[in-house]
Parts: sequence; structure tokens; C-alpha cells
Amino acid sequence: MTVILQRELSGILRTPRAVAAICVSAALFALLVLARWPTSALVDLSGAQSRLVFRVFAYGLLGGVLLLVPAFPAVSVVRERIQGTLLLLLNSPLKPGEIYLGKVLGVVGFAVLLLATSLPAATACYAMGGVDLLRDIGSLYLVLGLVMLECVLVGLYVSCHAQTPDSSVRVTYAAVFALVFATLGPNYLMQGKDGYLARGASLLRGLSPVPTVMEIVGDAGVGAQGLLEKRKGPEGFAFGAILVSALLAAGTLAQLNHRMFDRSRAQGKVTDDRGLAVRTARRMVFLVDPQRRKPGIPFYMNPVMVKEFRTRRFGRFHWLLRLIAACAVISLLMTLAATTGTVDWGVETMGGLMVLLQVVLVVLITPSLAAPLVSSEIESGGWSLLQTTSIAGWRIVTGKLASVLWTMLLVLMATVPGYLIMIWIEPSMWLQIYVVQICLLLTVVYTLSVSSAVGCWMSRTAAATVVTYVVLMAIFLGPLLIWLGRDAPFGRPVVEAALMINPLGAALSVIGMPGFAQYELLPASWWIAGVVSVCCLLGFVVRVRRLLKPL
Amino acid sequence: MTDVAEPVVQTNGLTKCFGELTALDGLTISVGRGQILGFIGPNGAGKTTAINILVGVMRPTSGWARIAGADCVRNSRQIKRLVGYMPDTFGSYSNMRVREYLDFFGAAFGIPRSARNRRIAEVLDTTGSTYMQDRFVETLSHGMKQRIGVARTLLHDPQVLILDEPANGLDPQARIEMRELLLRLAGMGKALIVTSHILPELARICNVIAIITQGKLRAFGTLDEIMRDLRQQRTFEVQLADPARVADAAGVVRKTLEEAERPSVVERAREGLVQFETHQPDAGVAAMLARLIDAKILVAQFREVTKDLEDAFLSVTRANA
Repeated sequence: MTVILQRELSGILRTPRAVAAICVSAALFALLVLARWPTSALVDLSGAQSRLVFRVFAYGLLGGVLLLVPAFPAVSVVRERIQGTLLLLLNSPLKPGEIYLGKVLGVVGFAVLLLATSLPAATACYAMGGVDLLRDIGSLYLVLGLVMLECVLVGLYVSCHAQTPDSSVRVTYAAVFALVFATLGPNYLMQGKDGYLARGASLLRGLSPVPTVMEIVGDAGVGAQGLLEKRKGPEGFAFGAILVSALLAAGTLAQLNHRMFDRSRAQGKVTDDRGLAVRTARRMVFLVDPQRRKPGIPFYMNPVMVKEFRTRRFGRFHWLLRLIAACAVISLLMTLAATTGTVDWGVETMGGLMVLLQVVLVVLITPSLAAPLVSSEIESGGWSLLQTTSIAGWRIVTGKLASVLWTMLLVLMATVPGYLIMIWIEPSMWLQIYVVQICLLLTVVYTLSVSSAVGCWMSRTAAATVVTYVVLMAIFLGPLLIWLGRDAPFGRPVVEAALMINPLGAALSVIGMPGFAQYELLPASWWIAGVVSVCCLLGFVVRVRRLLKPL
Repeated sequence: MTDVAEPVVQTNGLTKCFGELTALDGLTISVGRGQILGFIGPNGAGKTTAINILVGVMRPTSGWARIAGADCVRNSRQIKRLVGYMPDTFGSYSNMRVREYLDFFGAAFGIPRSARNRRIAEVLDTTGSTYMQDRFVETLSHGMKQRIGVARTLLHDPQVLILDEPANGLDPQARIEMRELLLRLAGMGKALIVTSHILPELARICNVIAIITQGKLRAFGTLDEIMRDLRQQRTFEVQLADPARVADAAGVVRKTLEEAERPSVVERAREGLVQFETHQPDAGVAAMLARLIDAKILVAQFREVTKDLEDAFLSVTRANA
């Protein structure tokens, strides 16, 4: 096991992204202390100043763990399986349990190093007074340690089941964010209610570290709407996290053996060659059957765009239709709930939730489609073939970008019925909704351009996906972190400036979401998004041109 | 050097430097219509650099390369239509069927849809791959992928095919089929440039051979021309009836050779064999045999060792090591 541990840890520490992650986190925490360290000689006896710093520190640390840790375990097993080294390991005297434990400890060791970079900042918070060593700092690190363990185990579980490193990264991040944020949703909707469903929602909420961290820093629960909850401490979360970790470990160990390689090759039978009953059933289920025999690419279509659609696992047409249908149904249900008075939310809150739903989808899906546009081509060897065809560079660029843009536009279009009903209920909102749609469209262009520009400079798909996710999450979650510290420690100008670089902030402000309505973000936010998008697209074009140019 | 009536591929003094390193040093070759050029060299010899210049993805530091009269640097778009290139990595896209894969590359070459469908059927038929048109590309075996790779290079009906290691990793049956396919393509009037490390395979199909080491062209011509050059240095083996007399026989051979050249004699006492290399004509060799018999050495066999492309390659690479 120690052999695996040594190899995993040294392997991670040798990668440039690990070094970058450690340096960036160390620099950020140092900056935080420098920025908030008291400059006057006055003593803050209440400890309010220290608690404000501690609040930002705690959320920042949680965000850092969620962004940086999952990437490493996510590629750990799947990459070894593709390279063939996993088979060698399984054929060695090492037991699967030892291999697994070595991998877990290797990534956890790196994550501990990452956490260690925050210790000077934690010490500074403690030295400033007002923060208890055990109850606050100790509890925070306990929760973060458990989150870290969960992230590692989720990553390894997904990595054992995934076919490619980039899909593993994508699914791992989606699973981690589902565990951390989506588990809060049902409880948010059922606050103050009794019954099994409400209790189940409360238990589900216990799986997320966010309420516990909020409790440690002294904030009310997520969307508490004035309802007070008694302090529960980190024990509840710890129990849930250990239970989830045990289940994940058992699931991974059940998969980590020779059966991983026991997969038959698809024979490629097309629907057109099957019986009438199967053909009819598949047409009904898929609407656009991915297994049908496709006609040739017509002259008016960009072949690169068609190729991008056809080679995706996620994001192919049948998946898009399902996603769009789900979006449409959710948006309609939410609007219906607001109009029939079953919940006491205003149209603004409902609109805000719909905006959030769309932005979450955009931020989660776009990088997974746009980041590997070039890197996957380089990795698969397809780029060297594209270079030898007579297709022009601008067609490659437009084809690749259009393949993602169309997908995301369809996702945006899916909630249009919900917005139309909102206008029907509240005709005066049409202008707001119109502006929100522009904000969302800009969000799509912004995420697409940033993702493609960041991802195209890497030659490995998994690295491109991870770095792009980290950059986008930093852009979208970073300002929200500052927004959480609105009024104190950050003043209105700082929060407003931070929200301007996040198109989501502008959309939520326009729709009148509580907490965002007071900020004046337009048109500055649009200008920033526009300029950043243009610069990123230029970067993408430059990269493609460089790759196509003879050496 | 070989005479090519109608050269399709021509390079002259082609040189490529990467900083201090000269990857290719004054390569001058020509390949005619219907010819197959075997491009041989150890790893890192400069073969791929030369190919990359020919397909227009690399610029030479000096010299020029032309395909059907089009300059590989200045007319790179035209070159892409003239050349079909199969690199040593397949370049597959996941989740794509063979027909879709070919359809994409056909569209990338701007072939209209109706003509493309017809052309895909033709290239699948030519490469014997029609039965796998609905299979997913990533699930194909190595041999199948090689065939699809050749089918892809044929899509736009290029005049020149450049195939990097087409027989690499193929089983004997697939190798024979690949060989027949390449001969068929040459029969269709296409010029082929093929690199391979399986030299007996190349010897069977290539009309022209180019041996390159350390970026320099060491030998170029038809297989017969190269072998003729090589045959100036002939190797003979003397099998003795009595293995105990190997040293005596070697002494006679050495003494005879010393009269005309520096002797290169190997004694294999256990096998009762003496091996020597000489530039002497048949008369000189016959005199050698006569001297052995005069020395009362019983010669069971006196034979010339036949040389093949592998020997030629080893001889050239050792000479320039």
C-alpha cells in the first residue's frame, strides 16, 4: 500500500496544476490576512472584526476544497485503466483494498497539504480574538476534512465507473456539487412544514456541509426566511459524511477488480436494421434516435459542428431534448406554484430561482462541452488529420463554437414558457424578463468563450476540463462569496464590483431577487462580459491558427 | 539513382533544423506514378519530419518539396487535395460509426453529399471494409482501424498516398491483405510512400527504397540497385567437414585476402564454419577455394550468403553509425 501511496502522492505533487493549486491557495489566504489585519491601534473587544474575516475565510476554504480536490481522484483510476497500469497493479500481489487505500491516502495527503496552506490565515483569525480555537476553528477543520474525504471518495467511485478521464471529471464535479448544493433544495422548499417529506428533506440537508459551515461562522441557514433553527453542531454532518463515505468506499471496492476490464465491444447494430417493434419503441423513447443510420452531412452544415455533436456522449440531441423537457417542466411547475399560491413566494423569487437553475446548467454543461474542443482533438490524434484536410481554419473555429452555442441556446429556450407565464401573471415584468434573457444569453457566450479559451491551451482533455471548471467556478462562485460578506466585511462598492464580473449577479439583480435587487450592475456587467468574451474568443482563434500553421 | 519517367513527388536538398538539431539534412528523392517508395530508417532518423513537410504541416528550413508540381509550402491547400496521409496514430473519434467517420472527412474535403456517399461505398469496397461500416470506430481492432485509415486517405482520390507504418501491429493475415491493398493502389496509378520497420514486407512491395539515418539519405534507388551496391561487399561461408581445422582454414582465407584487401574473417569453431567478406570477383573467390583444397582442408560447402533488405539496412546504418 505504501508503494501506491508514495507513487500517488509524488505523482500528484509533480503535476503543474498541483503546484499551482498550492501556490494560489497560499497566496489567497495570505492576501486575506493582509487585507483584513487591523491597521489601527484600537482593540476590537467584541471580536466582530475577527469573526467577519473568519466568515470569508471559512467559505473560501470550503469553496477551495470543493473546487480543487475532486479533480485529482476523478482521473486517478480511469487514467490508469486506459494506460494499462491498473491491470498490472491488479495482477501484482497487491490486494484491491490496498490499491484503493493507497490512492485514497495519496489524494488525501495532497488535500491536507492544501489545507495546511490555510493554517497561517486561521492562526491570524485566532490571534485577532473573538474566534474560539476548538468550537470554531477546530469544528471548521473537522468539517473540511470530512468534505475532503467525501470529495476524494466520490472522485474515486466515479473514476472506477467512467470510460474517459474527462467524463469522470465532469461527473465527479456534478456529483460533488449535487451533494453539497442540490441536497439543500428540498429543505428550502419545505421549510416550516411537518411530515415525512419534510423530515426526509431535513435529513438530506444534513448531508451538505454548507449549513454546518454557516452555523460555525454564525450565519442563519440557507434561505432561512426568518425561521430559527437550534444549533446542531458538526456531529450531524459528520455522521452523514461518514455514512456516505462508507457507501462510496464499498461501491468502489466492489468495482475495483478484473471485472472492470470485462466489457464487450459494441457491435454497432443500427436501429434501421432492427425489427419493427424495436424501431417503433426506440423512436418513441428517443425522438431523435442516436443509433439510427444518419444521412451524410449536407453542404449547408459545418462538418466540424456535426462531428462535434455526433462524437459527444452527453449533449447529443436525444439528451438535449430530455434536458430541455426537464427544464421546461420545472420552470412551468415553479411558475404554476407561484401563481396558484401553494407557496408564498413572489414572482421575483420564482424568477430568481429559474435564473439560478439556468445559470447552474450553463456553468455545469458549457465547460464540459467547450473546454475539450481542441484538447480532445489533439489527444485523440484527430487534429493531425484535420490539419491534412482542406477545411479552412475559420470553419473549424465556427463549427466547434457553434456546436456548443446551439446546445446552450436550446437549454435557454427551454425555460421560455415559464417566463411567458410570468409575463402573463405580471405584465409589468416584461422588460425585466427581456433584460434577464439578454443577461442569460451573455452568460452563455461568456462561459463558452472563457471555457474554449482556457481549455484550448491544454493538450489533455481531463486537464482542460478541470482547469476550465476551476476558472469558471472562481468567476461565478467567487463574487457570490464576496456577496455573502456584503455590508461587512465588504462594503457595497466591493460587492457591486465583484458582482459585475459575474453575469449571474446582473441577471439576479434585474429579476429583483432578494439580496441582489439593490445593486446597480447594468450596463457595466454587460460591457465586462462582452469585452472578456471577445478577448477570450480572440485567444481561441489565435490558438487554432497557431495549431493549424505549419511548424 | 533510379530513373523515374514521371515523378509525382520530388524533393531537393530538403533540410529541417530544430534549433541546433538538424532533423533532416538535404533529402533529395523522387517517386513516380504507380511506384511505391519504402522509406526506411531507425527511430528518430527524420522520416516523420520529411513526411510532415510533404503533407504541408511543417516548413523546411531550406530546400523544396513538390507534389504533382505543387510546392508543399506555398500551395499547401492544393497539397492537401493531392495527398492522402495516414499517420501512425489512427486519430479516432469516440462515439462515431465508420460511415459517419468517413462522411465527416469527406465533407471536410468538400466532397458534395451525393458524390461522397458513392465515394465512401467505393473506398470501403476497395479496402474490403464494407462489412464494418456501422461499427463504432473506437471498437475496431487494430487491423480494421488500419484499413479504415487507408479508406480515409483514399476519400478525396489523392494522387499520392503517404502511409506511416501501415503494417504495424497487424497479424500475418491482415499484413498480407494490407500488402495486396497497397499493390492494388499502386496499380491504380497512385504514388505511395510507405514507412515500415517490417523490412521483408517492404521488400515485397516497394519498387524504390530510401534509407535514411540521422537525417541524411544513405541509399536511394530500386531494391536491385541498392542490393547491387551492397553486393560489392560479398559475404561467403566455408563449411568444413572437420571442425578442428577451422583455424587452418581461417589462416588460408586471411592470407589470400591480405594480398588484395584488409581481411574480415570470422571463425566459428563449434559449427566448423569460416565466414569472410570480400570485394573480389568470382575468379578471386574460386582461387580462394582452390587454395583451401590445396591445403588439404575438406570443404563440405562453399556458399555465398544471400543478402536482403534487412542486411542492406543494417549495412548502411552500421556504416554511418
